[in-house]
Formats: sequence, structure tokens, C-alpha cells
Amino acid sequence: MTNRFFRAPLFGALLALVMVGTIAPAHAAGEDGEFDAIGHTMDGNYLDFSPFGKVELPRIFLVRKADGSIGLDVYGSTKQALLTGDYVMASSYADEAHAEDGYGDAEESAYGEAGYGDAPADEATATQEAISKGKHLYGGLTRAKGDVIVDFSITRHLLFAWLAILILCLLFIPMAGKYKQGIGRTEAPRGKKMNMLETLVLYIRDEVARPNLGEKTDKFLPYLLTIFFFILTCNLLGLIPFGATATANITTTAVLAIFTFIVTQFAGTKDYWMHVFNPPGIPWFVKPIMIPIEFLGLFIKPFALAIRLFANMTAGHLVILNLIGLIFAIRAILGDGAGWGTAVPSYFLTVFIYGLEVLVAFIQAYVFTILSALFIGMAAAEHEHHGHEPHAHEQTVGTEAVI
Amino acid sequence: MDPVSLAWLSAGIGAGLVAIGTGMGIGRLAASALEGSARQPEAGGDLRTTMIIAAALIEGVAFFGLVVCILLTLKTVA
Repeated sequence: MTNRFFRAPLFGALLALVMVGTIAPAHAAGEDGEFDAIGHTMDGNYLDFSPFGKVELPRIFLVRKADGSIGLDVYGSTKQALLTGDYVMASSYADEAHAEDGYGDAEESAYGEAGYGDAPADEATATQEAISKGKHLYGGLTRAKGDVIVDFSITRHLLFAWLAILILCLLFIPMAGKYKQGIGRTEAPRGKKMNMLETLVLYIRDEVARPNLGEKTDKFLPYLLTIFFFILTCNLLGLIPFGATATANITTTAVLAIFTFIVTQFAGTKDYWMHVFNPPGIPWFVKPIMIPIEFLGLFIKPFALAIRLFANMTAGHLVILNLIGLIFAIRAILGDGAGWGTAVPSYFLTVFIYGLEVLVAFIQAYVFTILSALFIGMAAAEHEHHGHEPHAHEQTVGTEAVI
Repeated sequence: MDPVSLAWLSAGIGAGLVAIGTGMGIGRLAASALEGSARQPEAGGDLRTTMIIAAALIEGVAFFGLVVCILLTLKTVA
């Protein structure tokens, strides 16, 4: 009974998906691309509070000015930077507006090439138009004179990463104080917050760190806990309304992976480096193949870590946005009735995927932590060599299989 | 044929192939893990941890494929 109940909307949605797949491309070209699923998950210089509006974030640029001197430009928002005239839009939107204007001019004025002289005025109107449409937030900025060396602008992912740090500090520093006083050590932990966090901390220590790190657990546990709670908080912040997922940004995940890489290399024992540059227990003619592979493996491991977290966090949001977009796609093709009809299965599927996302937020934080622990543990392990037995050989193979 | 449409097509087919491959991989992995923990329930915890790690690794490979597909589509937009 329940089976059938669940199957019907699912089947309908699948059918709709297939139909959209076949019909949509023909219609999508005619639609105005207002629904931007990719842009929503990407970084931006604004906080998105739609439908209430958008809050623009400050722009900070390190620039080389026209006279060659290096300076710092600070603006309250993208709009301000554009209105001062120091910056122009580098986006395709501005070009589009430009092209449209030029086209319009040519059509209007029978005189022909009148439009070339007043290019600056043209650009100003294009900028004004873009701002009034709210499109100035989606393109890059370039300096009118001179060029931008580094864009230090505070983006929304950065803001949410800071928010995560703030939340973690507010949660854990008072907790640490309590443990120093002895609450939780000599007596039972008090309160919901403390109990909940202690459960998570103990889980990471006993299930993630201990099995992989052994007696060196205490040395690396602070790093593992920090990375776990930071990723978890970032992931969950992306799931609250108006939030943004800092971990859906490849830069954030890359920096986290680089931390793991550095910690792994510094934890490396003599054995670890020997396994990389002079793998024991294998015939000499295999070594020229094995050594480059082992060496590349050092970098592939953190690279995979970064890509995994980034792709997981981005993919979930994209799926949700696409399911919602399905309603409008179907409405555009089959009319209002079909749109309302799609809204129901689309809604339930979205809720389902959202639930999955909460699960994924925990799983990915856990996976990042356990893989970090694994890599660090493999580097830090001091295995005894009983001559050159197959055991040592197996260890090397195991290292490779884990990438 | 139009190169842009070819890129879209290949990205779509690629994403589908990635999904098939990953689905089969993780499915077999989960099946074996379930079977293992059904036979030996006391090893369930260990099996689960190992399974999640292995699933994450399979997924990692899948994401490499997906990233290539996404790059293909983004190239055509830009």
C-alpha cells in the first residue's frame, strides 16, 4: 500500500524528467534565463535574501594604478565601485547591453556609423541599466585605468566561513572552560549542549582517530576535531534559509585539504618517506614505475579530498534547485495546470533530497575527517620491518589502493 | 554538427555513464557489506566504517568524471 503510494509521484516525476529532457532544449533557448541554478551555489559579492532583496558586500581590490603605483581600493558595495567610475563591468551582460544598444542605434539612425564616437556615455548607460536590473552582481569587475592584482573582496562564502568559526568559538571555548573546572571530567556533563557535543567529540576520538592513529591519537585529535566541526558547521549553514555553503567553494575545500597534506607530511616518519622514494620489498625494475606513482599519490590524496567535499556539497544544492526549476520548466511547456501538477511531486522530492542533504552534511564531514586520519595515520605509523617480508610489501600496496 | 551541442550531448552522456558506474560500484559494495554483517553481526561496526571509506573513494572517482562533464557544459556557456 505504502509502496504504491510512494511509487506514483516518483513515477510521475521520472516521466516528467524524461519529457523535459526531450522537449526542454527547444524551449529553453526562447526563455529568459532568470533562474540561475549554478549562480546560486557559486560564490558572490552579495547575501541573497530573495524575495526580500540582496545585501551587497564590500569590495576590496589590490590594484596597480595607471601611473604604476600600487594601492588599495575599498568600496562599500559593487554598486559603489561601479558608480565612482573607477570600475567597469567585464561581464557578458554588459557586452550584451552594449551590443543591443549598438544594434538599436543602427536601426534607429539611418545615418549609420554615428554610434562610435560616444563609447564612454554608452558604457555609463549600460552600467546604469545593469544596476537597475540587478545584473551588476553577476559579472566581474575590471579597473577602468590600470589593473586589479588581487581581489580581496569579502564574498558570501567567506562570510559564512567566518560565521562558522564564530559559532564554533562560541560553542567550544565555554565548553573547554567547563571541562577545565572539572565538570564532565570528575562528574557527569551538564546540559543538552554539553552532552550532545561530548557525544560527537567522543565518537570522533574513539571511532575515527583511535583506530587509525593508535597511540599518536592525542597529538592529532585537535586537528581532526577542528576540521570535523568546521566542515559540519559550514555544511549545515548551507541548509538554513538564506544561507550559503562555504564548503561548496573549491577554494575552501582546497585549503582544508592543503592543511591535511601539510599535517600528513610533517607527521611522516622515516618509514613513510622510504616507502615513497625507495619502496622496500619490490624488484628493482618495478621501482622506476612505483616511485613516481607513490610520489604523485602524495598529491592526489588531498586533491581527491578537496574535490569530493566540493562536489558533494555543490551537487546536493544543484539537485534541489533543479527539482524546483522543473515546476517552471514544465509550466513553460505544458501550461499552468501542468505546472501546478508538477509542484506536488516536485515539492516532496525536494523535501526528500533536503533530508538527504542533512545526512550528506554529516557523512561528508565524517568522511573528510576519517580520510584525513587515515592519511596521517599511514604516514605516522611506525611499522617494524622483519627483514623484507611480504608484510612490508603489502603495506605499500595498501597505501596505493587507498587513493 | 555544432560543437556546442556536441559538448552538451557528451556532458549528458558522460554524467549518465558516471551514474551507472558509481551506482553499480557502491551497490555491490553495500550488498557485500550487508551480507557480511548479516553473517557476522558483531563485525557490523567495522564493516560499516570500511564500507563508508570505500564508498567515499568510489564516489571520489565518480566526481572526477562529473567535474569533467560540468567543465564541458560550462565551457559552452562561457
